[in-house]
Amino acid sequence: MDRESTGVAGPSGPVVPRFSMAPDERELVAAVLRKDRKAAAQFVAAHIDAVYSYARHRLAPRAELVDDVVQDVFLAALNGLSGFQGESSLRAWLLGIARHKVEDVYRQRLRLPEPLEDVDSVESTSEPQSPALDQQIDAARMRDKVRRILAQMPERYALTLLWRYWEQRSTREMAGAIGTTEKAVERTLARARSWFKDLWLKE
Amino acid sequence: MSDDQWFEHLVDTMGQVAPERAPARLKSKVYSALVARMAESGPLLDLAETKKAGASLCVFENALTVVPLGTNIRSMNPCRICHARVMGERMEHAPVFWPGCPYADFHHH
Repeated sequence: MDRESTGVAGPSGPVVPRFSMAPDERELVAAVLRKDRKAAAQFVAAHIDAVYSYARHRLAPRAELVDDVVQDVFLAALNGLSGFQGESSLRAWLLGIARHKVEDVYRQRLRLPEPLEDVDSVESTSEPQSPALDQQIDAARMRDKVRRILAQMPERYALTLLWRYWEQRSTREMAGAIGTTEKAVERTLARARSWFKDLWLKE
Repeated sequence: MSDDQWFEHLVDTMGQVAPERAPARLKSKVYSALVARMAESGPLLDLAETKKAGASLCVFENALTVVPLGTNIRSMNPCRICHARVMGERMEHAPVFWPGCPYADFHHH
């Protein structure tokens, strides 16, 4: 399926389609603003799958938060809908809100102090080599494997990897967002990578 | 290959996030939350207007548009007290089949 046409979130965050708001989207927005309940149902039906897919992947280690995040995205969208100018498609705009909501979760969770047992268990193992990425595994199977591994990792490490590599945030940006030093983020990231690679090799 | 490069390569190799369908239960909850939020700041659009705009109404909403109860009633949210909403928000494949009901649409389309 074509990413540009669907607006499905990609590895570097939400995909922003090149086209702006279509005329039927404009009508839908106007109807929701008039408080037309059936338009609200159409709004949800048209865009919830994209928002859900994005949130589910980015919050893999905290699946129980996905429903609340998706609901928050739509409520925030309703609040901001009157200011929506249509410079992007509605879906791109919603995915932008979703990205902020997911990053709010990262910030909240990663601000908490690191449990000592996580540090001990990683530092007692040797640093695994980077395993070869088997080109024979198709992308879907690789996504499943990554999801399984992230689900097995301590939440803090899984979220750190998702934030750094899937959302493509620099360690400086992450440190600024959670109020710590870049060095501390790099340390957490090193432990997270080590943990991930270890599980990758064991699978 | 450095660790950073390995992870970047992994993300590239994985490709895009596969689209997944949101559970019908979640669609129902989000819809209910949106309508409740819309109702907080004043009456919803009169159901007669919604119908005029081409949307189909459920049997209960239709009834509200034909009985002479006034605009206030037609701008209320009957889903709030409807069994379809309760079941739609709590189960997948909820046994709700009313034509024109958004909860039925979420669960069966």
